Amino acid sequence: MSISAISIQNLSKEFHVPFRREPLRAVKNLSLEVPAGEVYGLLGPNGSGKSTTMKILLGLVSPSAGSSFLFNVNSRHVESRESVGFLPENPYFYKYLTGLETLLFFGKLCGLRGKTLQDKARLMLQTVGLADAADRRLGGYSKGMLQRIGLAQALIGEPRLLVLDEPTAGVDPAGSHEIRDLILQFKAQGITVLLCSHMLNQVQEICDRIGVMNRGELVAEGRLDELLSSPNQTELVLENASPSLLETCARLAAESGARVVENRKPHADLERFFLKITRQKP
Amino acid sequence: MPASPKHSLFSPRRVLALAHNTLLELVRLKVFYFLLLFAFLVIGSSIFTVKFSFQNPLQVLKDIGLGAMSIFSWLLGLLCTAGLLPKDQEDRTLYTILAKPVSRFEYLLGKLSGVFFLLTLAVVLMSVVFAGVLGLREQQEIAAAVQNTPPESLAQEIESIRSAAFQANLLPGILLILLKSLLCSTLTLLLSTIASSSVFTILSSVVIYLIGHVQGIAREAWLGGGETTAVLKVLSASVALVFPDLQLFNVVDEIAVGTALPMALFWQVGGLGLFYILIYFLLAQVVFASREL
Repeated sequence: MSISAISIQNLSKEFHVPFRREPLRAVKNLSLEVPAGEVYGLLGPNGSGKSTTMKILLGLVSPSAGSSFLFNVNSRHVESRESVGFLPENPYFYKYLTGLETLLFFGKLCGLRGKTLQDKARLMLQTVGLADAADRRLGGYSKGMLQRIGLAQALIGEPRLLVLDEPTAGVDPAGSHEIRDLILQFKAQGITVLLCSHMLNQVQEICDRIGVMNRGELVAEGRLDELLSSPNQTELVLENASPSLLETCARLAAESGARVVENRKPHADLERFFLKITRQKP
Repeated sequence: MPASPKHSLFSPRRVLALAHNTLLELVRLKVFYFLLLFAFLVIGSSIFTVKFSFQNPLQVLKDIGLGAMSIFSWLLGLLCTAGLLPKDQEDRTLYTILAKPVSRFEYLLGKLSGVFFLLTLAVVLMSVVFAGVLGLREQQEIAAAVQNTPPESLAQEIESIRSAAFQANLLPGILLILLKSLLCSTLTLLLSTIASSSVFTILSSVVIYLIGHVQGIAREAWLGGGETTAVLKVLSASVALVFPDLQLFNVVDEIAVGTALPMALFWQVGGLGLFYILIYFLLAQVVFASREL
């Protein structure tokens, strides 16, 4: 039986708001399991309780009821964070530090030192494609570079679980695509990823399973193919089909009791289109 | 996947990493402009006392120098500490740090240690400037004495000038100045764990600083007279317990006029300062540990 990277049981969180009798219930009786090695997308509109759930998992906020575990260690305990790397939304690091100094600082917090730390920091810079900017101060980094250094610091302690909050927010499509590839690379290395994002296309491409939260409750959860597929429909894409062939197809379908629901030209994915034309050499 | 190493509840290395980074952060904030101001003040007052003072110029210089050192180190500690936590939270660097295997105790201790390093460095630098200016004035005074003093009393005059210059008996006083600034910084850190804005932290810290300086006088005024009500006694005792009597650290005046600080008093005041630092830090930890981030 595989171990759970994240295990949340009947978790609730209430915030007491000044001048309001009723507390604000940010998370309501949430339970979910994320097996090790899975990429799990936690979705939901703003204020749905995703961030609070993440903060509880990272020990930044204590739950009002219920419990959460990371690799069987209660997330209230500091040692649970030995296994976690976290990239917050719009990360902001100490801008007076260079990329390398930033990783050395976070590496020290993870207990690394000496040559191991130096080597690890350089390797992480290479992994996220920032080796050339290692000695530049973060004050001069672009948004996409900050996001990548954020990923590098999240990875420096060799975590078994990565918690990524909007990892591609504000990043251009090319940068976003690179981050997506990195996440897939982490998945291939067996790292569990909890991804919170409003970029639904990207979530669809990366995640094995998703959970949708709304008003503090988990309203849907499951594998993407299960949630999104229509079991009684089949998609057939034809190339160079003449109008008469299409008519024949429709007639045959009708004769066998089926129905052509939609007949349209397939659209290219906008992100792929954008990447294709922006990556063309002049 | 690599297995997680055994987590140690407290790691001096993590605290040191945080302290080093805090020191770097504060130095980059150009706080040392403060020290430049101090240098100008001491050098300026050195020139001023030559021309206009009727008192022993070295005594006046010591008085101004030690007083300025006390004020500047307090102000430096206050301004540096008040913004530390709010800034980290605003920038979300606090989340990134606490999402690592770093306890809140280590974080808070690291931050405070960074401020302590900075204040120690600042007081050392101010002492060097102070000793330098005092040394220069001493040489000028001796040169003037050689010219103006009859030979039979020259040796005595030079001895008198040297005894009024920078001497080892100033060091305990400087240490107490440093301790006072560390104490006020810890208090500011405690306030910043409670307050929601840096402005409130600074204002309340200044108010407590003032209370700390006048509470001794107020206590004497209230309790010194013959008739004292029980309410006044309780009130006075409460204030004395919660706020440190900062006037106790003002041994600088006596030292400036050449009186040696009794070591028993030095240890007593030093011990009290350290006790308050410990209590305020533990209170800050209790508040910060239960805070929702």
